[in-house]
Amino acid sequence: MTSRPFAAAALVWLSVALALSEASVRAGGADFNLQAQLLWAGNGVNPPEGKNFKPVEPAVAKKLKDLPLKWTTYLEVSRTNFVVALSSARTVDVSAKCQLEVSAKSDSNLEVVLHSKSKEVFKRNQPLPEGEILVLGGNNASNDSAWLVILRRIPRAK
Amino acid sequence: MDNEAQLKLQAYLDGELPEAEAREVANWLARDRDAAALHNELKNTRQALVGHETGIQLPESREFFWSKLEREIQRAEPREAVANAVPWAARIRRFLMPVAGLAVLVVASMLTFNNSSTHVSEMETSDSGAFTYHDDAAGATLVWLSHPLESDPADEDDLDIE
Repeated sequence: MTSRPFAAAALVWLSVALALSEASVRAGGADFNLQAQLLWAGNGVNPPEGKNFKPVEPAVAKKLKDLPLKWTTYLEVSRTNFVVALSSARTVDVSAKCQLEVSAKSDSNLEVVLHSKSKEVFKRNQPLPEGEILVLGGNNASNDSAWLVILRRIPRAK
Repeated sequence: MDNEAQLKLQAYLDGELPEAEAREVANWLARDRDAAALHNELKNTRQALVGHETGIQLPESREFFWSKLEREIQRAEPREAVANAVPWAARIRRFLMPVAGLAVLVVASMLTFNNSSTHVSEMETSDSGAFTYHDDAAGATLVWLSHPLESDPADEDDLDIE
């Protein structure tokens, strides 16, 4: 006699717990708050004359130091914060002729496309959890410096 | 010898007759051989019974014996209560096992679904020399394109920063 009410209560609690966890997952993964940074990389060089490029913040510099890159100096050229909603896409300018297109394919996966002069040069689909960065880069024509585009998640604006 | 006479002999043997009647029976036994034979037989039977009937002696006093029984009964009652509780616990377990199994399946499927969506990495690029490097510890993925872009994003001539 006592097992029936117990069974019903257990089922109710289980359903509530599953519904809450599912809701929290959906609520947490609805939007991607992102930041795209354009960096200039070189070895012991000063920023180009007349340009007020600032050194990249220590947290990003530390991550770059752990990557197999030969550069010692990383300067921030531009920074753009933007939001991508689930199942939608957003294109942001990283420079006058380069754009980054980001699509939220799922609550964890992003599709990142790099355009140069309106031409698609790179496309990648990958997860980007908070605290991780995606670095796209290449040498400059002079080969003594490089450009980097860093994409990462940032805390929600309050 | 009739039944009445036999009963009288038995009463005589048991010492239940008055003195005068007992004397009469004693005289009768001295005269009658059948009566004497029956008397002897009854006497032998009685002696045999008395000699071989061992009285049952309890190893403990009567009070102690009954108090022991009482204690046994009292001890058996809680054991019975515990025995009744086991089927109830078994019923709950019978219910909880499938529920727990279902919950494990649900959680496992959720984890599998989430994992399958978080570990997808695909790349398309027109640059055949591009390479990808992922550092779990640093939490960073590097994609390096092998040749300069048509327009380097960081080329100051291309930047609209002035």
